[in-house]
Amino acid sequence: MSLKLPLRELRRRPTRFLVATVVLAFLSTLLLFLGGLLDGLYLGSTGAIRAQDADVIVYSSTARDSFLRSRITADVRSEVDAVDGVDAVGGLGFVLLGADVPGEADPADVAIAGYELAPKGVPEVSSLYDGQGVADRRLEDQGVGVGDTLLIGPAKTEVTVVGWVEDTAYLQQGTIWVNLATWRQVQNANRPDAAVADDVVQALVVRGSGDLAAAIDTATGGATSTLTVEEAVLALPGVEQQNSTFNQIIYSTLVVVLAVVGLFFSLLTLERLGLYGVLKAVGASSGRLFAGVVLQAVVVTIVAFVAGSALAMAAAAALPSGVPLQLEPSRFVFTFTALLVASVLGSAISLRKVLHVDPAAAIGTSS
Amino acid sequence: MFLAWHEMRRSKLRFGLLTGAVGLLVFLILFQQALLGGLITQFIGAVRNQSADVLVFNDQARKNIEGSIILPEQAAAVAAVEGVAVASPLGESTFTVQADGSETDAVVFGYVLGGPGAPTTLSAGRLPTADGEAVASEKDEADGFGIGDTVTVLGPGGTLDLTVVGVARDLNYSVSPTMFTSFDTFAAAKRVRNGLAEGTAVLPSVLAVQVADGADAEAVVERIAAAVGGVEPLTRQQAVDGSPGVSSVRTSFGVILGLFYLVVPLVTGLFFLIVTFQKASALTLLRAIGARARTLVVALLVQVVLVMALGSLVAFGLYAGALQGVKNLGVRVEVMPVVVTSLVVLALALVTSLVAVRRVLRIDPLDATTGAGVHL
Repeated sequence: MSLKLPLRELRRRPTRFLVATVVLAFLSTLLLFLGGLLDGLYLGSTGAIRAQDADVIVYSSTARDSFLRSRITADVRSEVDAVDGVDAVGGLGFVLLGADVPGEADPADVAIAGYELAPKGVPEVSSLYDGQGVADRRLEDQGVGVGDTLLIGPAKTEVTVVGWVEDTAYLQQGTIWVNLATWRQVQNANRPDAAVADDVVQALVVRGSGDLAAAIDTATGGATSTLTVEEAVLALPGVEQQNSTFNQIIYSTLVVVLAVVGLFFSLLTLERLGLYGVLKAVGASSGRLFAGVVLQAVVVTIVAFVAGSALAMAAAAALPSGVPLQLEPSRFVFTFTALLVASVLGSAISLRKVLHVDPAAAIGTSS
Repeated sequence: MFLAWHEMRRSKLRFGLLTGAVGLLVFLILFQQALLGGLITQFIGAVRNQSADVLVFNDQARKNIEGSIILPEQAAAVAAVEGVAVASPLGESTFTVQADGSETDAVVFGYVLGGPGAPTTLSAGRLPTADGEAVASEKDEADGFGIGDTVTVLGPGGTLDLTVVGVARDLNYSVSPTMFTSFDTFAAAKRVRNGLAEGTAVLPSVLAVQVADGADAEAVVERIAAAVGGVEPLTRQQAVDGSPGVSSVRTSFGVILGLFYLVVPLVTGLFFLIVTFQKASALTLLRAIGARARTLVVALLVQVVLVMALGSLVAFGLYAGALQGVKNLGVRVEVMPVVVTSLVVLALALVTSLVAVRRVLRIDPLDATTGAGVHL
């Protein structure tokens, strides 16, 4: 038996596979949707930290790795500067506020980020004047354009957007990167009860070599808590919990896919035992028959994945912009691969039945 | 019944697989429903369970209490609006605290004692009557937030002790331990957190408004919005529904749950359709020797009910186990949601199984005698 037979069955009797394809298509949509939400939440929360071109980030020890609660004074900064292996140190600060956008009725959610060492994709801070900033592209959806002067916070502090940067959102808000003086101006005007002095920043980004985190925390006598950039990403509120919860749901759904494919093809195999007996009697090997089952599972999965992807993209387009759904190409690749693996494993449940078909006993029975 | 049960006993693998798949799907529905309810309560329980009829936000805050501050002139203007009986400051912020010997994050709300903004779900102890006292979220009682415990706010400005004098149900905010204390204590904690000098003014996050007797909260909201610039007044329910994240979490989970509710009956319907197709010859023979169509349909439906019931049992076991892993959301194992969800998916599965029922009803007993095969 060549592998043409299972393909011909798929072509001539597509309705036999229709319900399984529909179920798998819905499960594909579900997996893409769950993955898209996870990616949207993760990328939208962590962009500003992932973009940091640094080795470690230094917080004050009582801040529990929260930027908004951390304060690094000039004294602590000079201690960090003096640590062996430290090549460059820059201040960093965030404040989350609403901003009036010219011509828009609703304010935009912005994160004003003051920096000294440029994150990846962000221009050198020396290229920005006081009151100027480069904005994360996601603010374009809220009506922000280059040249716009935004009125930030209740104090209506002016910041003019002079360019775009990509993938630097912070806690689901579009970041506007400004120099430290502008950040302090915005922070102190709009958050007077969290005002910072001219030599104070929230955190330090540090480039260097060696075991920087331990060396810095020792040098400051425990006044700091230093994390690698990867650790700082996971320390953002909710990021680690979101990842683990969504991944549990995604993997449980994949087990369901495995069960559905297994169920469907084991039933189909049961139905065809007589036919398999005849095919074995005329020389088809068990391996070839099983390959036919796997091939059908793969084709059904591919068709279901294409339909499911179209459905997920339509759902993404129809959903309100407040839903942080982000369908990344890597998510499609992961979902497709996972579905394929689950389908092949699921169809393998039929292997035992195929192997046990006895050609002699099967001849004469109806197919 | 006899037929249905014996077939299931003899085809353990296929029915086992289906029961497993249904169990997992129902479990995922239950788990996500619990997660949704838990997340919403943990995110905004403190707003839902405080006594102010109306909360007035800065209009720049986009209904986010964490991003809102109210300026003194706005507070004065709100207090003067007709229908406002009391308008007092309500502060909210996240702090690093030491509780039960370890450092953790905690949200602190500060309200004017005796005024609007007090917790309404006190389950033990009493409300604070003096500075330095607090009511804490009941869920975190065992982690150093129980009655009599001292919680210490840490920051560059030193430390500040709060004594827990009461605990209240569903009082969390931003999935963190939450405490309600006097506004002056809150302001002192904020100065400690930010290293500010004693006496530095701390602005309220929002205004907690108690409407006058007989006044309608929604009407007062409209009046405040018309009379005071730069603020966004919301009734308590509007503040809960409009909280950032709540509506998007609801929409996201709504779509996911909708897809799961579609998949469960489709899987069940598919299975019984194929099984009916496979059993066609046997069913035709049974009809030919006198079995009534009704008997065969009942056997099919009994199998659907048994599979769904067993699947729901599996789901309940998984659900009870999984909730131990998300204890921090304060989600409790409740039987009622399991029963309701199981009944809904059973009803949906019975509906999709009607296709298989229709096939059974179309069996012609004569086909067993003609040898022409069975066309279902």
